Amino acid sequence: MASLDFMKTMAIAASGLRAQAGRMRVISENIANADSTPSRPGADPYRRKIPTFKAEFDRTIEARVVELGKSQPDSSDFKLKYQPGHPAADQNGNVKYPNVNSLLEMTDMREAQRSYEANINVISATRRMLQRTIDILKA
Amino acid sequence: MSSPLSAASAYANIARLTTDSNAAGGFANATRMTADPSAALARGMGIPEPSGTSFSSVLKEAITSVNELGQKSDAQTRNAVNGKANMVDVVTAVSETEVAIDAVVAVRDKVIAAYEEIMRMPI
Repeated sequence: MASLDFMKTMAIAASGLRAQAGRMRVISENIANADSTPSRPGADPYRRKIPTFKAEFDRTIEARVVELGKSQPDSSDFKLKYQPGHPAADQNGNVKYPNVNSLLEMTDMREAQRSYEANINVISATRRMLQRTIDILKA
Repeated sequence: MSSPLSAASAYANIARLTTDSNAAGGFANATRMTADPSAALARGMGIPEPSGTSFSSVLKEAITSVNELGQKSDAQTRNAVNGKANMVDVVTAVSETEVAIDAVVAVRDKVIAAYEEIMRMPI
């Protein structure tokens, strides 16, 4: 097709959409597991995951698209809560809670949402440009 | 979006148009008709016959590629309904097809308008 550049633009923006969707998956995992305590004393609770992105060269469209990399574990400390009756409490009565900060996840989610919308705007603008070009033929 | 059934019959029609070389009616005939009078006219006026690909083959090629795109987007939609494909892939495939169909239809309308213009010419 003659409109190859536009198609490439759409494909690149679509890779951005996919990456942000994957990021949302990781964020939702973090939020859902914010209270996942270990099943027995001494074990570790859910560890927060950090989504990573990498630029990947796509041979079919000859451009660098974005791809979701392997999500990395967050090495920060777990939160300790004093809950002596809890089945996962240690000798001192402390329970390890995941190192998930819901405020951080919310801002991350908002960022993913905005990035997704930015990529959608690129697709809509490209489509509009293509359509306007074809409209010249119709006039 | 049209139903898969109507889309399937549309593809069958397009496939018949492109594969059936001596299709009665349809684009192939229409394009042959546009090609013939102008060629005769050109010969009569001593203008050399145009070289290069004919319009009918260009149109056939365009329709074939649009047909392929349509089938691809249809397959993506089916996969998405079955929960096997990403919604993003469906949307990009469908919009790509839409643009391609729009472009081919615009060219076809333009050429048919030109043909009608020639037919209206008082001789």
